[in-house]
Amino acid sequence: MANEPLEVTVRRLPALTVLDLEGEINGLAESRLNHAYADAEGAGPRTVLLNFSGVDYINSTGIALIVSLLGRARASGRELRACGLSEHYVEIFNITRLADFMSVFPNEEAAVSEAALGAG
Amino acid sequence: MTESREQRASQIPRDAANWATQTDAVRLSAVPTGARNLNVEGKQAVGPLQGFGPMWQKTYRVRLQGSDATPKDVIAAWKENFPKFWPPGNTFYAPLTGIAPGEAALINSSLPGGMPLSTGVMVLYADDESFTLMTTQGHPFSGWVTFSATVESEGGMTCTVAQAQVLMRANDPLYAVGMRFGGHKQEDRIWEWTLASVAKHFGVEAQVDTNCQCVDRRPQWRRAGNIWYNAGIRSGMYVMTTPVRFVARPFSRPRTGA
Repeated sequence: MANEPLEVTVRRLPALTVLDLEGEINGLAESRLNHAYADAEGAGPRTVLLNFSGVDYINSTGIALIVSLLGRARASGRELRACGLSEHYVEIFNITRLADFMSVFPNEEAAVSEAALGAG
Repeated sequence: MTESREQRASQIPRDAANWATQTDAVRLSAVPTGARNLNVEGKQAVGPLQGFGPMWQKTYRVRLQGSDATPKDVIAAWKENFPKFWPPGNTFYAPLTGIAPGEAALINSSLPGGMPLSTGVMVLYADDESFTLMTTQGHPFSGWVTFSATVESEGGMTCTVAQAQVLMRANDPLYAVGMRFGGHKQEDRIWEWTLASVAKHFGVEAQVDTNCQCVDRRPQWRRAGNIWYNAGIRSGMYVMTTPVRFVARPFSRPRTGA
């Protein structure tokens, strides 16, 4: 099956910075994901939101990439959140216990309004 | 055209069969002959987020230059020969059903200083080109080890590269001290040996490339209580009390079925 390389777009909102992810998160996504996260960190947001609504495949290497982002976020005192995960990947976040460390929202609106409340 | 989220949710994900299912406790399907079965059955599988010490990402890679093995060949051989690729003195009792999602394996090894260690791992993920092991509570580190193979080009030449990537935290304060004083080196030796063995299996003698990065230096103090499950302490106590169990055996009541 053809791989769909990951595309990442960084959007800055008042309450947080969003990384829109599109494609597959696997070992090949490492460089793009890390660069995009470094770009997102540039503006010094308190919260970074990973928007998975365009992601249709994550393997275990991809989950490890997300965990290392969590480690980086923790090291710099930032909060990492997730939204737009399919039901299957919500379950994977539970199995890998990522969900214990990362708030998971059904969509971007819910994550943004939560962040706005927190900032207010 | 991009499918809507609802459309995607209604389909069976193509990786659904590659992941372990959610479980509260690790279960062994069978205990291989000769294996010391301690600290695994009934324990939780833990990832790099549940550990205590600094978070490390360690990557070990070997280029299979000159071999025509594909990534699928490498992973198939690695799954089949996983115990054989380990260094002497460490025994990995692979699940009898093979390396498949949700299966658990026992590890009988020793810590620096020679203290026996009985622990285990659960297969979190497995496909044709990679597989991931997740440690159980009490293991020296809390984390995942992902084994993968890819085709890479360098200077116009392509070759298959085998890789083991560890994402981990020392599981408790005692292990964190142990990792500083020999634990990291011991772990590096295990994976460097393993990668060199994989290369040898395909007829390649090659240097293993090791890259270690500290992702988060701060310990997670709220995880200090993980020491309760420390498999080194528990395995040591088990070995020390062996004479007592031997003497008491004739007096113990036989186990009855449930």
